[in-house]
Amino acid sequence: MISFLHPWALAGLIAAGLPLVLHLVTRREPPVVVFPAVRYLVETTREHQRRLRLQHWLLLLIRTLLIAALVLAASGPSAPLRQAGGHAPAALALVLDNSLSSGAIVAGAPQLEALKGAARAVLDRATAEDGLWLLAADGVVHHGDRAQLRQVIDDLNPSTRRMDLGTALGIAADALTGDRRPGAVALISDLQATAVSASDLRLPLVVLRPSEPPPPNVGISGLDAGPQPWPLEGGRVTVSVQGDADHPVPVAVRAGAMPRRQALATPGGVTTFALSGGAPGWMSVEAQLDPDELRADDSRIGAVRIAAPAAVAWREDDRFVATAFDVLASSGRVRRGREVTFGSLGPGSSVVLPPADAAEVGAVNRALERRGVPWRFGTLRIEQQVTDSGTLIGREAVLRRYTLVPAGSGRTGIAATVGGEPWVVRSAGIVLVGSRLDPAWTHLPLSAGFVPFLGALVNRLARGEVAIVPGTPGDPVLLPDWVTEVRKEQRSWRAEGGAAFDPPDTGLFFLLAGRDTAGVLAVNPDPRESALTRATDRAVTDLWRGARTADLREAGAVAFAGSARADLRGPLLWTALLLGLAEVALASGVGRAAA
Amino acid sequence: MTLSSARLGRSRLDLLDPLEASRLGGLELVTEGVVEGFLTGLHRSPRRGFSVEFAEHRMYQPGDELRYVDWKILGRNDRLYVKQFEEETNLRAMIVCDVSRSMAWTGSPGGVMPKLEYAKRLIAALSLILLRQRDATGLIAFDDAVRAVVPARARTTHWRQLLEILAPMPAGAGTAAEPALRRVMDLLRRRGLVVFVSDLLLDRELAMRALRFLRYRGHQVMVLHLMDPAEVTLGGPAEARFEDPETHRSVSLRPRDWAAAYAETVKGVVSAWHRACRRNGIHYHRVITTMPFGQALRLAFAGPSGRS
Repeated sequence: MISFLHPWALAGLIAAGLPLVLHLVTRREPPVVVFPAVRYLVETTREHQRRLRLQHWLLLLIRTLLIAALVLAASGPSAPLRQAGGHAPAALALVLDNSLSSGAIVAGAPQLEALKGAARAVLDRATAEDGLWLLAADGVVHHGDRAQLRQVIDDLNPSTRRMDLGTALGIAADALTGDRRPGAVALISDLQATAVSASDLRLPLVVLRPSEPPPPNVGISGLDAGPQPWPLEGGRVTVSVQGDADHPVPVAVRAGAMPRRQALATPGGVTTFALSGGAPGWMSVEAQLDPDELRADDSRIGAVRIAAPAAVAWREDDRFVATAFDVLASSGRVRRGREVTFGSLGPGSSVVLPPADAAEVGAVNRALERRGVPWRFGTLRIEQQVTDSGTLIGREAVLRRYTLVPAGSGRTGIAATVGGEPWVVRSAGIVLVGSRLDPAWTHLPLSAGFVPFLGALVNRLARGEVAIVPGTPGDPVLLPDWVTEVRKEQRSWRAEGGAAFDPPDTGLFFLLAGRDTAGVLAVNPDPRESALTRATDRAVTDLWRGARTADLREAGAVAFAGSARADLRGPLLWTALLLGLAEVALASGVGRAAA
Repeated sequence: MTLSSARLGRSRLDLLDPLEASRLGGLELVTEGVVEGFLTGLHRSPRRGFSVEFAEHRMYQPGDELRYVDWKILGRNDRLYVKQFEEETNLRAMIVCDVSRSMAWTGSPGGVMPKLEYAKRLIAALSLILLRQRDATGLIAFDDAVRAVVPARARTTHWRQLLEILAPMPAGAGTAAEPALRRVMDLLRRRGLVVFVSDLLLDRELAMRALRFLRYRGHQVMVLHLMDPAEVTLGGPAEARFEDPETHRSVSLRPRDWAAAYAETVKGVVSAWHRACRRNGIHYHRVITTMPFGQALRLAFAGPSGRS
């Protein structure tokens, strides 16, 4: 694409239309002159008329082109050169894809080494007049001379992060903004198809990728420990495997100090492991595959919380609730005790239902206020609505409910809603439900979800939410609002409620609420990095218009091809000179022809 | 004596600019003045001008044909005299005048006399001189047809009859000379003089055919080719559509671009007429309408070898 040093000068191109405008203006019907000797004029012009008309049009064209050439020359145009034997000073952003997939072993060496070699070859072609930028998977843009960027490249290792190439190109282009030199971007990547995304890049782009096919790879794409907490008896872990193998591959799962369990998993499918429990507390769970060419996706880590069932005090006169708790107790999900009071406000954790007598609502609200609970029972609404589907409950009919009104300014701790309004809220071990659990208030007691709902209320909500948050390196995670600190081994990060946290690497990051560990951030590689299938050149050029793809070995030769530009002012001035000479010759020729 | 006649008496009208001369009086008065001046310049009767028998010598005047210079006298006395000849018989002359629309044109209205007005005065002068020599003189006026015919007469009052026809003659339409020239053959039974006054914006082949026939019949034929200066040198606005008043044919061009080529064309046209006339023994003279009448008359009476 032709670029201009002084694009404002292009406004002068309007002047190129002057000869045509003058021609059209003067083309108006000439005045009629009575002249008896017209026969002499006819005889005079007969031979020359056609040639003169052609010459006049040619003159018009030459004069237009002459002005256009001068204006274009004044705007300082330059055009890209296909070969970069030598190049004008350029601003080049080098995007080096050292994402997790670059750690795949190809021909006995990590793919990243070949990518780094190509990057060094590009730097070798750079001159002192060039501006150089380097962007790797960590998202940090490095600007420096050849030596500085070479050092950065030497220090690069396969990252645990994913690199979205479309986004990376956008960042690289932004880095070049403001530099007056012709800009270009060189992308050096294994060009995973899953990493190629759209970009509105408007700079010349050279894509350097390996020519060899990527190695086959199988990776663990998911590890799910199910609902938390686990009872003391244990629980189930589901492992997802993806990859190029068309046969089952062995997967091993280890939970804490327990013996590892092994099974065969088919790529594209899931395998469930039943694991025994242990002592109450947090336990790590790790799934592993046999090593292959890309080691980084051969394991995945997670965590489970093991806790004893909640000790609940419930009222026997509440028929539906009592029946449900009997079921939970018989299955070991709850036990009788005073840890959680169900139905009214107790001394500790409580699940508070609206009182049967509306006159008692005020007393309940005052008690809540004394306990520092920021929610109150509001007005009674008698209208049939449906609960909004969520993780706690599906869609259930609600016939009567009290509105739950925040006492303060915040509206935190909403666990379930009806018509967009809070229906189940939680605050510091106190759970408020907007309806009594009776068919006259809601159809929930008649549904199959009633027993699990009560189990969740007493085991999870009333005792405190257990959060196991998945994450990938480099992708900020929005932490639950109760998180005050994030800790991994000896490192810790202070956190504000509801803040985003950018996990620097893989592993388990414990989420602390005060002094309690209330959750885990399980950071694993992005499963898309396991798919090493390379995007085709066609797909690349379709997605990134004007991109030029080349093998890594051609890096030095083509990297600056996008930015190598020829100064067009000289040719344009020569053209203008030739046009001027042609104009003079033709104009005098016209005069001679008429003579 | 009127004021005009007094002024006429003081100046050589034959040497004045035609337009200036015409402003001094009517056609008759000015013509008489022109002729008087012309004859004064000759010192002798022009009657001798068309004769074939030697009559006498006179002093050389600028414009006289060098071939009539008497070289023997020049050798003896170192003075220039020209020989003059007596005419043997009375001449019958027919003047053929083109009164087409193109003849009414002038390239500079108010600055240059229209060709038709110039022609009227020139013909009046010619006819007056001829009649004073007692040569019978007639007139045919034509445009695309014969418009007026005045048979040749030698009476002294005939000149005024000619003027009565000639003076009010308006410009007509197109130009067709052949019928007029053929009409001359009917009117001139014996050998005579035919003076063809026209701007020659007509079909040359047809006209020449008729003129050749007149020559074949033994008449002396003289062509006076009237041209306006603007017809010789192309001018006008930067670009113009030039339209023929007779045919309404038009050409659009930039006069500046074409002036030189046009001049070449005119030169070629004049040369072509001249060559064609000379080939057939016809006297051809180009007369520019800014030329003083005396000079034009001198061309006309210069004899068979007169040149423009």
